[in-house]
Amino acid sequence: MKILKLPKGKLDLFASVVQQFGELHAPVEQDGKYVFKRLARWPDARLEYDRTILPPKKYFLPPRETLFRYRPGEGFVPSTDGLDQRIVLFGVHACDVYAINILDQVFLGKYKDPYYQARRRNIAIIGIDCTPDKQCFCRSMRADFVDHGFDLFFYDTGDYYQALVGTALGDDMVLATGNLFEPVGPADIDAYKERSWNKRRAFHLDVEIRDLSEIFEMEYESGIWDQLGRKCLSCGSCSMVCPTCYCYDVSDDVELGSRAGKRTRSWDSCLYFNHALVASGENFRRDRASRIKFRFYHKQRGFVAEYGRPSCVGCGRCVSACPVNIDTAQVIDRLRRVEDVGSR
Amino acid sequence: MSKPKVGIFGLTGCAGDQLAILNCEDRLLDLVALIDIRDFPMASSDGNQECALDIAMVEGAVVTMRDARRLRAIRQRSATLVALGTCAVWGGVAAMDRDLDRAKLLEEVYGELGKEYDSCPARALHEIVKVDHNITGCPIEKEHFLAAVASLLNGDPPLYPAYPVCTECRMRENNCLLIERGELCCGPITVAGCDARCPQLRIPCVGCRGPVTDANPASALALFEEKGFDRERIWARLRTFAPVGVAS
Repeated sequence: MKILKLPKGKLDLFASVVQQFGELHAPVEQDGKYVFKRLARWPDARLEYDRTILPPKKYFLPPRETLFRYRPGEGFVPSTDGLDQRIVLFGVHACDVYAINILDQVFLGKYKDPYYQARRRNIAIIGIDCTPDKQCFCRSMRADFVDHGFDLFFYDTGDYYQALVGTALGDDMVLATGNLFEPVGPADIDAYKERSWNKRRAFHLDVEIRDLSEIFEMEYESGIWDQLGRKCLSCGSCSMVCPTCYCYDVSDDVELGSRAGKRTRSWDSCLYFNHALVASGENFRRDRASRIKFRFYHKQRGFVAEYGRPSCVGCGRCVSACPVNIDTAQVIDRLRRVEDVGSR
Repeated sequence: MSKPKVGIFGLTGCAGDQLAILNCEDRLLDLVALIDIRDFPMASSDGNQECALDIAMVEGAVVTMRDARRLRAIRQRSATLVALGTCAVWGGVAAMDRDLDRAKLLEEVYGELGKEYDSCPARALHEIVKVDHNITGCPIEKEHFLAAVASLLNGDPPLYPAYPVCTECRMRENNCLLIERGELCCGPITVAGCDARCPQLRIPCVGCRGPVTDANPASALALFEEKGFDRERIWARLRTFAPVGVAS
């Protein structure tokens, strides 16, 4: 991997050059929170942000999208709206890049999702390093660092951004700037290592995920799930803001007076009453407790069995978005603690 | 195939749902090309008040014995009955104080004359007759009405969200009024379908669409109390639009 550095003073220049690769989107402030948005002007970008309300998932798997239009006798026409739009996402944190890599496994694995695939191809990612806050546990989830899934990744080392070049496109971006980027020397390497060390020490939360899958297996009947079920509002906020929740619902909007229409998909959540409701009227997860339990099991156990790691990246969004303070890190901690076994 | 015969009626309410139908201006001609609107007193005074109907859509709550009689008569002449709007589905604003002493209320408002009035505690349609489908909202969304007609014409039941306003609010990436500003926002227990119109404008959800399927009012109540709202205020907010839903 190529490693270069960009003088901080030249970031504006870099941002203006990089726009030739697509529409520039970055975190901007919205009433004290942050959202990824198309930049009206570069100074609106907030590269030192905690977390955006929605993860970059919204660019690859929009909350609602039309898949195709259909008409009896004519078949269907896939929707291609916006799929070829070139976007540069500037300022994506490591956990969010990691989450996109997880989504890649789901949408670009055995069954390729053409909509996701097109967007993934056309959206460039420039990552940026961050400082963990009280809700971050990405390090515990091994998602505090990514080695792929981005085109460029910037580390703030004081006077410079040290840049990892992840793809040929990232390299093209570097080349397009002429000689803005410089080679790194021993002092830069030290600066990087110091930053890396400091970040490691900045975490407030530490969640142990080794053998977690097995502990989940053992605690299937734990009283914790009923307690959470009584508290959970089934509002679905945690799923909406989760960078790796990929469940979607598919529905047909029929045109008035015909059997033609359009098929849309929209974000879904396993916390909704009808998520496991099937045609016979049977509901496999009628109780709220079984639904929130399912969400934890899918993230921390089911996904491990299928893909070899939890699908949680420790971004902390579900914690900050839960109206009743259900805290993923705390739940895992409680499950692990011996003294809490009494709750069974 | 002959066009399905449809009737659109209002019991006690503000007529806002019927108005929402009339406001489908650019779709009205498409609509009457597909359905035969036989009886729609708010739109035309010379409807057929007797004929059998394939679909009846009824707005408003049952607040008088006359409402109840009308509703039963509509039910009797209709194959499918659709409750239109929050009042019809959940009792709505009229049912807010339905547990209070009716005679006392009548006297308070109308004095001596009140005794003569035909007035009973407000009820949702399903408390009087069998209701086949519900289109909730205060008022209903035009798009939901049109989609319901499209589905019914195809013999499909209309489908509505089984998730709360929070879902749509998060999809729109709004700041959370409940968590960030400590406002009494009913988003977590109110059924979606409005695309979080109010929170989008930083106005907390008042629950005008009624409760979501499998709402968790006990946890919501505890949450609101924790935010510093007293029970009376919370109760007043929750029963404003859907006293039937809150009581159940």
